[in-house]
Amino acid sequence: MNRQPRALLSVLLIGVIGFVGWRWYNSASTEQDNATEVVVSEQSTRGGSITVSLRSEPRSFNRLVDRSVPVDMFTFLTNSKLVRVNRATQELEPGIAEKWTVSPDNRTFTLTLRDGVTWSDGTPFTSADVVFTFQAIYDPRVESLLASSMMIGGKPVTVTAPDPKTVTLTMPAPFAPGLELLDNLHLVAKHKYEAALKAGKFAEAIGVATPPPDLATLGPFVLKSYVPGQRIVFDRNPRYWKTDTAGFQLPYLDQVILEIVPDQNAELVRLQSGQFDMLQQNIRPEDIATLRPLEQQGKVRLIDVGASLDPDAFFFNLRSPYWAKDPRRDWITRKEFRQAISHAIDREAFANTVFLGAGVPVWGPITSGNQKWFSPNIQRYGYSQARAKEILAGLGLINRDADAWLEDASGTEAHFTTIAYRGNSSIERGGAVLRDELKKIGIRMDVVPLEQGVVIQRMIKGDFESIMFLYTQSNLDPAINSDFWLSSGSAHIWNMNQPKPATDWEKQIDDLMVTVTSAGDQAERKRAFDGIQKIFAENLPVLYFVTPRLYMATSTRVGGLTPATLRPQLLWNAERMTVRQGR
Amino acid sequence: MGRYLLTRLAFALVLVFVVSSAALLLTRLAPGDFATMQGVDLSVEQREQLRERLGLNRSFAAQYLSWASHAIRFDFGQSMLYSRPVGGLVKERALNTAVLAIMALLFATAIGIPLGIYSGTRSGIGRSLIRVLSVIGVSVPPLIGSLALVFLAARTGWFPVGGMTSAAGIDLTWSQWIADLARHVPLPALALAIPMAAALERLQSEAIESASRERFVAASRARGVDRARSILRHAWPVSLRPVLGLYGVMIGTLFSGSFVVEVVTSWPGLGRLMFDALKARDLFLVAGCAATGALFLAAGTLIADLLLACTDPRVRAGERA
Amino acid sequence: MIRRAGIFLAALILFSLIAPWLAPYDAGRKFDDFLHAPPMPPHLDGLAPVVHPLVLADRLEQRFEADRSRTVRLPWVQHDDATPVFLLGADDFGRDVLSRLLFGARTSIGLSLVATLGAVLIGALAGAWAGYRGGWIDEAIMRVADFVLVLPVIYVVLVLRAVLPLVLPASTVFVLVAWIFIVVGWPFVAKGVRAIVAVERGREYVQAAQSLGASPLRILVVHLIPACAGHLLVQATLLLPAFILAEATLSFIGLGFPDPVASWGTMLAGAGNYNAVARFPWTLAPAVAIFAIVLLTNLLASQQTPIRD
Repeated sequence: MNRQPRALLSVLLIGVIGFVGWRWYNSASTEQDNATEVVVSEQSTRGGSITVSLRSEPRSFNRLVDRSVPVDMFTFLTNSKLVRVNRATQELEPGIAEKWTVSPDNRTFTLTLRDGVTWSDGTPFTSADVVFTFQAIYDPRVESLLASSMMIGGKPVTVTAPDPKTVTLTMPAPFAPGLELLDNLHLVAKHKYEAALKAGKFAEAIGVATPPPDLATLGPFVLKSYVPGQRIVFDRNPRYWKTDTAGFQLPYLDQVILEIVPDQNAELVRLQSGQFDMLQQNIRPEDIATLRPLEQQGKVRLIDVGASLDPDAFFFNLRSPYWAKDPRRDWITRKEFRQAISHAIDREAFANTVFLGAGVPVWGPITSGNQKWFSPNIQRYGYSQARAKEILAGLGLINRDADAWLEDASGTEAHFTTIAYRGNSSIERGGAVLRDELKKIGIRMDVVPLEQGVVIQRMIKGDFESIMFLYTQSNLDPAINSDFWLSSGSAHIWNMNQPKPATDWEKQIDDLMVTVTSAGDQAERKRAFDGIQKIFAENLPVLYFVTPRLYMATSTRVGGLTPATLRPQLLWNAERMTVRQGR
Repeated sequence: MGRYLLTRLAFALVLVFVVSSAALLLTRLAPGDFATMQGVDLSVEQREQLRERLGLNRSFAAQYLSWASHAIRFDFGQSMLYSRPVGGLVKERALNTAVLAIMALLFATAIGIPLGIYSGTRSGIGRSLIRVLSVIGVSVPPLIGSLALVFLAARTGWFPVGGMTSAAGIDLTWSQWIADLARHVPLPALALAIPMAAALERLQSEAIESASRERFVAASRARGVDRARSILRHAWPVSLRPVLGLYGVMIGTLFSGSFVVEVVTSWPGLGRLMFDALKARDLFLVAGCAATGALFLAAGTLIADLLLACTDPRVRAGERA
Repeated sequence: MIRRAGIFLAALILFSLIAPWLAPYDAGRKFDDFLHAPPMPPHLDGLAPVVHPLVLADRLEQRFEADRSRTVRLPWVQHDDATPVFLLGADDFGRDVLSRLLFGARTSIGLSLVATLGAVLIGALAGAWAGYRGGWIDEAIMRVADFVLVLPVIYVVLVLRAVLPLVLPASTVFVLVAWIFIVVGWPFVAKGVRAIVAVERGREYVQAAQSLGASPLRILVVHLIPACAGHLLVQATLLLPAFILAEATLSFIGLGFPDPVASWGTMLAGAGNYNAVARFPWTLAPAVAIFAIVLLTNLLASQQTPIRD
C-alpha cells in the first residue's frame, strides 16, 4: 500500500469518527431534555451490532401459542404488525396496513396494505396471509393463547380478503378499541405453514428447533441462530418494508444479539464491563447507585421511563364460601376492613423502604403511566392510623384484652395470613412493611413466603386468605384486559370466574365494562372507565400502595431510543436504534 | 472383575430408574402442575384443554406406565416447557456441564489433594495457612463465592465475566471455538472447584495424618525409606480410602450441574435446566434430569471404587470377602 | 480430644443461647431511613466509647454521611431510636446486622449442630454397618445413600410443605429442617466411614474382638467407629457450614423461619447479590462468623496426637 491511499483513509476515518461523535453528542444532549421523546433524528448511521440481555430461555418462537418474555422479544424483533400502538405516545399508528376506513356502525374495518411488503424469504405478503393468521388463531387444535383476546364477546372476528391488498375485519359486536386489537396480532406466513395447520401441527412448525430459513417473518430482523442456553442472534432483514423519513431502509443496525443471562447480578456486571448494551428489564432501584459512577464517566445511560404500569397488588380472597365457617367472616371481606388497611399504610414510607424512594403512591390498578386511562380523581386513603382504628372499631374490632391485637365481639383476634413468593425483593419488602404497619393498628398479619408455583396454584384454586402478587397487564386498553375487570373473568383475581356477579359493585363494573368495550366515542368510554376506577377505589378488591419508577439502563453507544413504560420498554422500536461504532 | 462390573451396572440402572420414577411421583404430588403454572393467562377451559393434551388429567399410574414403557426404549417423553424431546434437551446441556465438570474436577483434585497431603504431614506456618484457606473455602456460600469471582473478573478483565462462548462464536472455526471456550471455562470451573478443593484438602489432610500413624508406615521409615517416599508410597494409598469414598459423590454432583454457579456465570448447563423444569413442574424433564444425575452419580461411585481398587491392594481382597 | 470437643460444644451452645441478650436491637427492628447504612466505628470520648450518628445523604444511592458534630453513646448504654447505632452496619431492610447476627446465632448454630450430630451419628452407623458386613447389605445401604443423594430434595420439601399448615411456629420449622438435613446429610458421612471400616474390619483387634464373641453392634460402636473419629470430625466441619447455608435454600421454597426470626443462612441469602459484594460487604458478616466457627472446630480436630517424626 503506498502513501496516498493510506492518508486518504485516515482522513476518511477521522471524518467518520467526527461525524459519529457529533451525532452521539447531539443525541445525548437532546435526550437529557426530554427522556420520553424520540431521541435521535431520523437519519442515522447504519450498521453495527448491539447486545441485549434476555433473562429466560425461549420455549417457542410461536407467539400464537406462547406469551413468555423471550417469545415476545423475538416477535418484536422479527415481526411487523398491521397496525401498532406506539409505545411512547400510546396511540395507534399504521404498520403494514398503511390506511384504513371504518364503517358508520363502527363494526367493519377496511385496511389497505402497503405495496411491496415481502416475507423474509422473498414471497410477497398479501391479504391472504392475514386471513390465514386469523384462521390459525381460531383453530382449536392450535390452542392459541391469542384466541380469547381475539374474540369479541366470545365470537370470532370475520376476516375477508376482497383483493390481495385489502383486508376487511368485521367485529361480531361493537368493539371500541377497534384496531388496537391488532397490536396483539402476530402475522404468520400462509405459504409456509398452511400444510402444518392442516395437519394439526401448527404449534410445532414455528419452534425453537425450526431451522432459521424456515421461519418466514416480516420484521426488521431475521433469526440467524439460536444457541440454547446462550444466545439468539438476529441479522438485519434486507427485505424489511419500513424506511425512515429520509428514505433510508430500516433497520439501522446490522445485528441484534439477545444474550441469555438468567441472573440479574450477571446482567449488571456485563453492562458495567461493556459487554451488554442494554438490559431487557428495568433495573432495580438499588442498582442505580452501582451504575451512577459509570453514568458519570459517560459509559452508561440511565433513563427514567416514569411510573410503572404494574404496581404490586395485595388482595383478599373474596369468595364468600371460603369464609363461610370462619369466625372472621363478619368483617374480613367487608370493604371497610380494606379501607382501614389502606388508611394504615404510609405510602411515602412504603416507597422509601421498598423502592428507595423511587416510587409513586397509587390508589388503584391504573397508574399515571397509562396516559389515556389513568383517573386522578378517585378516592385516596390518606395515611391516618386514627382513621383506620375508627373504621375498625365501626366493624366491632377493638382491643378487648391486654395484648396488642384487636378482637371482634366474639373474641376472635384480628389476624390474617398473606402468601407471597420468594425471590422478588419488592414483594418481600412490601410484605414486611405491610406487616409492621398493620401491627401498629392492632392487626396481626402473617406473611408466608412460598415457592412461586405454589402461590399461583393456591391463587387459582382460591385457597388463600390474602396474597401479595405482581399482576402484569399486557395492554393499556382496559377493554383488552377485560378478564381482570369482569366478574366472569379468569384474571378477576380476588374471585375468579363467577357465574354471575357476587356483589352489586361487581355488577356495576360489569355493566360499565360494556360501555368501555363497545362505545364508539372515546370520551364516553373514558367516562365509563373513570366510573369503574371510582367503584374500584371505594371497594378496594385489590389494594395498591406504590408503583416503582422504571429505570432502564443502556450503554451510551446506543442511540435512537424511544423509551416507553410498556414492555419491551426499549426494544419495541428496535428498527430505529443506532449504535456508535467501535468500543 | 467382570462379574463385579456387571452387578454394579445393574445396580446403576436400577438407581436411574428408581430415581426418575421417584422424581416423577414427587412432581405429581407437589402442589400445582404445568397448566396452573401458566397462571391467569389461561382461562379455565384453556387450562383444562392443556391438561388434556399433556395427559396431566390422567391418573398417576396410567401416566407412569406409559412413561415407563417409553423410557425403556430410550424415549423420555416431551418437555412441556420447551415442546422438545427431553432426551435431546438433556444431552445438549449435559455436554456443556461435562466440559465444566471435568475442568472443575481437575482443578479441585490438583489443588485439594496435594495441599491435603502437605498439610497432613507437615507442621508449621504452611500447614496453618492451608488450613485457614480451606476453612474459608468451605464456609463461603457458593453464591457469594461465585459472585466474588465474577466481581474479580469484571475488575481485572482476566476472564470473561460469564457465558460459555462469545457472541462471535457461531462464525468461528473449530480451533478458534475451542480457544474461545477455554477462555470462558476457568471462571465457573474455579467457582465450582474452590469449595470442593477445600473439602478434599480437609479430608485428605486428616486421612493422611491418621495413615501416617500406621505401623507399616513407621516400619518403612525404619527400613530407611526417606520421608517423602514413605508418605507417597505407603501412607497416601491407604489414606485415599475415605477420600475416594466421597470423590465419587463429588463427581456425581459436579456432573449433575450446579444451579448457583451456572446462573451467576451464565453457563448453559444441566443445573439451570433442572431448576427451570422444577419451577414449571415440567414432569418428564424433571424425571430426565434426575435420571441423568443418578447416572452420573452411579458412574462417579464406580470410578471412585475402581480407582480405589487400583491403589489399595487390600480392597480387592475385601471386596470379595 | 473428646473432652475438649465437649467443652467446645458446650461453649458454642452457651454462646448461641446468650447471644440474643447481647443484641442491642430486636432482630426484626427496621430503621426506614437507614437501609444499608455502613458500619459506624466507635471511638473513645473520654472513657466512653461513642460513634458519630449517620445522616441520610441520598436515599436512592444509599449514601450516608457521618455527623461529626454530634456523638452518640453505644446502644447498650443509651437507646435512642432517632439515632440508631449500627456497629456492623445495617441490611437492606435497615436492620442492625450485629443484632441479627447475634439473634441468628441461636437459630443457625442450634440447627446446624443438631443436624450435624444427627447426620454424623446416622451416617457413621450406616456406613460402619455397610463396611463391616459387606456383600449385599453394603450394596443396599450404599444404593439407598445414592438414591438420597440424587433425589430432587426441593420437591420432597414442596410436597412436605403442602401437607403442613401455612403458618408454622419456629419450633416446628426447626425440627423439620433438622430432620431434612439429617436425611440429606448422612450419605456423605456413610460413604467415607464405609471406606474406612471396610479396611479396619480386617485388622487384628477386630478379629480378636470377634473371636472373643463380641456382638457386631459392640464391635461397631466400641472399635470401628472410634477408628473413624478423625474422619468424622472433618466431615462434621464440612457439614456444619453447609447446613447453615442450606437453611436459606429451604426457606426459599417455603420452609423457613417466619420473617423476624434471624438466621445466618437467610442473612447471607439476602446479601447474595452483586451490590452487596461490591458495595455493602458488611452484610456478609455471617460468612465471617461461620468461618470462625468452622475454623475453631477444625483446630479442635487437629489437636489430636501430633505426628512424631
